[in-house]
Amino acid sequence: MVIEVKNLSVKYREKNVVKNVSFTVNEGEIFGMIGANGAGKTTTIECIEGLRNNYSGEIRVLGINPMKGRKELHKLIGVQLQETSYQDRLKVKEICKLFASFYDTKESIDDLAKEFNLYEKLDSYVGKLSGGQRQKLSIILALISKPKIVFLDELTTGLDPKSRRDMWETVLRLKKKGITVYLTTHFMEEAEYLCDRVAIMKQGQIVALDSVENLKNNHGLLDKVSFRCSHNIKNEVLMKFKTVKEIVERDNHFTISCEADTFLSELNRYIIDNNYMIMNVEVNKPSLEDVFFKYTGEILESLEEQ
Amino acid sequence: MRAFIEIIGTEFKCFTRNFLNMFFVLAFPSLLLILFGEIYGNKPSSLFNGQGTIDASVPAYIGMIITVTGIMSLPLALSSYREKKILKRFKATPMSPFHILTSQIIVNLFMTVIGVAILILIAKLKYDLKFNGDVIAVVLVVLLSIFCIFSIGFLIASVVNGTKAANAVANLVYFPMLFLTGATIPLETMPDSIKNISKFLPLTHSIKVLKGAWQGKNLSDYGSDIMILIAVTIICSILSIKFFRWD
Repeated sequence: MVIEVKNLSVKYREKNVVKNVSFTVNEGEIFGMIGANGAGKTTTIECIEGLRNNYSGEIRVLGINPMKGRKELHKLIGVQLQETSYQDRLKVKEICKLFASFYDTKESIDDLAKEFNLYEKLDSYVGKLSGGQRQKLSIILALISKPKIVFLDELTTGLDPKSRRDMWETVLRLKKKGITVYLTTHFMEEAEYLCDRVAIMKQGQIVALDSVENLKNNHGLLDKVSFRCSHNIKNEVLMKFKTVKEIVERDNHFTISCEADTFLSELNRYIIDNNYMIMNVEVNKPSLEDVFFKYTGEILESLEEQ
Repeated sequence: MRAFIEIIGTEFKCFTRNFLNMFFVLAFPSLLLILFGEIYGNKPSSLFNGQGTIDASVPAYIGMIITVTGIMSLPLALSSYREKKILKRFKATPMSPFHILTSQIIVNLFMTVIGVAILILIAKLKYDLKFNGDVIAVVLVVLLSIFCIFSIGFLIASVVNGTKAANAVANLVYFPMLFLTGATIPLETMPDSIKNISKFLPLTHSIKVLKGAWQGKNLSDYGSDIMILIAVTIICSILSIKFFRWD
């Protein structure tokens, strides 16, 4: 356990933005916190990073209290802030060199730049970088001190889909190196793809925390099975199949809410017995997004609105 | 310490790569000096109570240089660093945002000195600038002026939110300071109404003392001006410390 948060509460202008939050992060995992804008994700991460002092509760990061051991802590962790930028008039290698000078143990700038595909841009000005390149620079600066934990606050917000995918691979590489990753996002598929464990935050509270698999399986969410049948099957018949909860039918196109495995084996027997044929079978497992909606009832802004 | 020197170095690079800063601190005052020098020369002029145009202009232009670094360069850099969360990012390193702030002050101070040196050098070589004052007195007055004007810039960076607003406020302070205090256009040529307004601008007093010190007059003759500069410095500094936000 590298991060331990106990009863964290933050008040901001008389409003409780984080309410009695407790959780731990294990060594070597990718821990994700998801939630709508304003749910308290950034406030929580900033308390842990040692950027805020106005909280109550207890935090230990690698055994250090971030309020007391700020300097010590910042030698051990790497931080990417939400929407940070750097001095536009500096070259990439200059800002890297500057950050490297803050630490005793440091990574080679050239190696990092090569790894993150920014080597050709070392002589470019920060102001001339694209959004994706800026975020890569942000990660490089977070990694320069060879940190044990890296904090990524909305790393992919504002990036195009291709850059976002690249970033995901980057984050997985960090994990392979043995670095613990704590990230926040409001993209469900991102959390689903990357995270070992996910905490769902709503209005300052953690409403669920588990592995993505468990979150999806343990909350009574059903699969959606859709198929086309050569003949019409009466709703009453399908309703009698085990685990079926809901049926939508149009022109012999069926979409069934159920447990896919149980339903499909029963359906199989049924169509063989009746000499029907089914086509275009598709099984949709519940996504993290479904879990999220179930918990929060909130609608996330779509990407376009960012 | 090595890291702090590294920060100062990078902030210095940022300054030198900002064309407007470089032009208005290093080139513009000298160009203005050459313009008026070519027109009027440095002969004693009735406009300046018998002083030469160049002799009277150099202390005024020193005030202009301090205004560029103090009111434009410094607050705009700081408010953009806050808006870009650079200050906050520094808080997440073993260094602190205090280092970057101090670096900005040091760099702007240094560039002010360079700007003044270039101005004096050109005035001396090209127009035989006369200096009757006491070097230590002039240096002290220049430093006091820098503290005073920088503290006003700092106050702008502290109370104004966002780069755009800071830019607007800085311009709003900058241009009256430039034109209504004698920094560019001699106050002697202004009507009384403007002279009255100019008394409310700290730079007017700063330039008045600078000119006096340059001519070798006794600083005690300028007690009230010096008091005003000290008072403005203290008030602005206290307010800045009270209102400054790192993010």
